[in-house]
Amino acid sequence: MTLLTEELKAWIGREAHYPAREELGRASIRYFALALGDDNPLYVDEAYAKEAGYPSVIAPPTLVCETCQYAHRPPSADGYIGHEWRLPVANCRLIRAGNDYEFMRPILPSDRISVTWTLENIVERSASRGGTQLFVTAVARYRDSVGEVVAINRETLVYQPLTPA
Amino acid sequence: MIKATRSAADIKPGEALPPLERRFTAVDLVAYGAATWDWHRLHYDLEYARSLNLPGVVIDGQAFGAVLARAALDWAGPRAFVTKLSFRMKSMAFAGDTLRAEGEVTAVRSFAGGHLVELAQRLTSAGRRVAEATTEIRLPD
Repeated sequence: MTLLTEELKAWIGREAHYPAREELGRASIRYFALALGDDNPLYVDEAYAKEAGYPSVIAPPTLVCETCQYAHRPPSADGYIGHEWRLPVANCRLIRAGNDYEFMRPILPSDRISVTWTLENIVERSASRGGTQLFVTAVARYRDSVGEVVAINRETLVYQPLTPA
Repeated sequence: MIKATRSAADIKPGEALPPLERRFTAVDLVAYGAATWDWHRLHYDLEYARSLNLPGVVIDGQAFGAVLARAALDWAGPRAFVTKLSFRMKSMAFAGDTLRAEGEVTAVRSFAGGHLVELAQRLTSAGRRVAEATTEIRLPD
């Protein structure tokens, strides 16, 4: 049985857009750094960040690519509020294969970031444990308030059948 | 006084980055989930995780990227900028695991106005490979 149905193929190329609702803010940056135990003063000390050549404190690199902060909706039954395609795939578990991040410039607390997700591709490949699995690649482009792309996050997720063929 | 930023002229392929260790307790997973608006039960609901045949609550894969970026910047200094970070998952990690980031320089190249340093990084937990990454950092002239 093929996992990659015609119905699923029709999802390739679809987009989802999450407009900026507010500035990133210093609190979000401090919270993220604190949660990671990262004591780099660039994230919390304005004078230090300016001495290092930045206009203000900056965000830790990967914060902009965290995928949940842009959505605005109630949590799913699993508690998830972030972007997800909710593809019509039955009896599979979803795991992350990897991410390719690109960063164009430091992200500032004053930045208003919007994100557009594009579902780039879905391919079916054989799995080492037998049967096949689906690789779904999507790309998120993060833009600032003037529309410049400030970061790109290409994410590959894998749908693994719960009962291998 | 700010910390010094590494000079590209002093960096050669093969240089090892100082290892960085970060333990993720259940408390840290709640903090990370909250800081990233990720309220998925996988990261704090043990009963839910066990219902999926997992031994514990799961460290968010994007946190691996955060730890790898930190290891790179702690080494490179405050004027360094991460331009690329590509990471691949090798195995899952769970609350209580200590993630260890290691890596080395694989290439240094210069362009007008700066330098790009490429790193090969690894994340392990008790010796088990959790993630692998290729990271690129820009250094000023």
